[in-house]
Amino acid sequence: MKVSEIMEPVKDYLLPENTLKEAVNRMKVARRGEKRVGVKGLIVLDEQKNLVGIVSIKDILKTIIPFYMAYAKLGEFTWDGMLEEMAKKVSDKRVSEFMTKDVITIDEDAPLMECADLMVRHNLQRVPVVNKEKRVTGIVYVRDLYYAIVKALLEREE
Amino acid sequence: MAHETVAEASSQVVMDTTFWTATIIFLLAYAVIVSEKVHKTIVAIVGAALMLVLKILEQHEAFHVEELGVDWNVIFLLISMMTIINLMRPTGFFEYIAIKSAKWGKGEPFRIMAIFSIVTAVLSAFLDNVTTVLLLAPVTLLIADALEVDPIPFLITEALASNIGGTATLIGDPPNIMIASKAKLDFLAFIIHLSPVVIIIMIVYLFVLKLIFGKKLTVKPELKERVLAMDEREAIKDPVMLKKSLFVLGVVILGFVFHGMLQYEPATVALFGAGLLLLLSGTHDPHHYLAEVEWPTIFFFMGLFIIIGGVVKVGLIRWMSLKVLEITHGNMFATSMLVMWFSAFASAFVDNIPYVATMNPLIIDMAQQLWPNLQGIELLHHPDLMPLWWSLALGACLGGNGTAIGASANVIVVGMSERAGHRITFARFMLYGMPIMILTVLMSMIYVWLRYYLLKI
Repeated sequence: MKVSEIMEPVKDYLLPENTLKEAVNRMKVARRGEKRVGVKGLIVLDEQKNLVGIVSIKDILKTIIPFYMAYAKLGEFTWDGMLEEMAKKVSDKRVSEFMTKDVITIDEDAPLMECADLMVRHNLQRVPVVNKEKRVTGIVYVRDLYYAIVKALLEREE
Repeated sequence: MAHETVAEASSQVVMDTTFWTATIIFLLAYAVIVSEKVHKTIVAIVGAALMLVLKILEQHEAFHVEELGVDWNVIFLLISMMTIINLMRPTGFFEYIAIKSAKWGKGEPFRIMAIFSIVTAVLSAFLDNVTTVLLLAPVTLLIADALEVDPIPFLITEALASNIGGTATLIGDPPNIMIASKAKLDFLAFIIHLSPVVIIIMIVYLFVLKLIFGKKLTVKPELKERVLAMDEREAIKDPVMLKKSLFVLGVVILGFVFHGMLQYEPATVALFGAGLLLLLSGTHDPHHYLAEVEWPTIFFFMGLFIIIGGVVKVGLIRWMSLKVLEITHGNMFATSMLVMWFSAFASAFVDNIPYVATMNPLIIDMAQQLWPNLQGIELLHHPDLMPLWWSLALGACLGGNGTAIGASANVIVVGMSERAGHRITFARFMLYGMPIMILTVLMSMIYVWLRYYLLKI
């Protein structure tokens, strides 16, 4: 099987100039399959539909946690409501400021093993799939890969 | 010294090709460092290499001759102190101190500002300023968020306090480390001559802060609770290592106090401390702690020493010292005041490390012109020369407060504040820094005049 056979089509995406609040809202109502159940990450496309970044929940957490917490061990000295306050503080931040810019992608006709290796090596939950022109044609989720494994093992047993 | 003899001596400097080559390397290197087009460490290494490649300085002179080459006393003192701090940092000691200070402040913003300034000054007197500010600024930002106040006044006042505190001791600030090594002054000498005026300056500084911020800063009572609820004991991650670190730090400070009497160089004391703490830590992986030494700073020093060695050898520094003597006609009081104010304004705008690296040999050369029959300690510690060393130290250290780029601590605070979303403009920093610089240098001037020229003690 090839990556293009298990990928899901791109239905929702973010723009670099979207704010964090807009991004969170779009992720909340994003479609997966036919239902608007929400997703935990979205790709970022510019006006020419070029892939410029990807946003995951982790990117959002990283932008909400004040940077100074990384400089000293201050986790114990935080307070109730701090997370919510900090989230409100950065709610107008642009997607382009907190997205992951170096997006790891995979070719449409790559074998699934390449995709599995990539995901484990870089600890990814989703990988945008690109065609020869480097346009995004879909997304492979770690779950889709797992379904392929399930299918392979259970079919053999049957 | 008569005017004619100075002019005569001035002609002794042979301005040949080597002289001009060395002078051009020196000027070019300093110009590029000031322009910040290339990282200063790279400039220093390239400049030093050129001095060697062009045979202005022999490698032997650069590495092994005290008057011309790398000052290993400075290098090993810095490396050792940085290693001790790197071993101490993970224990959580500094976070503990900072949180404890905020609680002493009872969540009152001005009290916190004053206590943080005092803590920063005291820590800066014994650790380097960059380390102190790097450790305290994150906690300051956290406390400001907890109290919902603007962190900028807190951060700037800490940077200023750090530069003031660093002036107090031999190990507090790189200019002092360099002056101590060249002038063969010990730790106690700095305590006797600089600490008193720094303490007075600090008291006045706190008073000024009180006038400016005393009534301005207020917070809601419920926000104070956030700070009071913090438990500083949770900061301590490794109590065993903490005890070992404090023991070694105590040994090192005691060592500094007695190094003059025991005839040890400060670098020996610090190296012993670093070795002892590495041993006590039981680590099998010293790589991590040693890798975290700020090697770019260390190489910056080494490169600079070699560049300066080159211009000392060709006579540029002699030429400069003769010019200074011409201007001041050998009047030592005028010379000290000139050195102090010039150092302050120079340090406010350019790195004080290359500045002091140049001034040290210049002052020694001036002394040689004035007292040609003396040498060694008799020359370096000539009673008329001593106020010059203290003026250089006070000017170069306190001058760092003038602008946002005047001292490393300022640069760090500005950078951190910007990352936290609070931009400190060059003008805003100067609005705080420049008046404080002028006030503190003015106080130092009165101190030097009173103590060394009027009371002569």
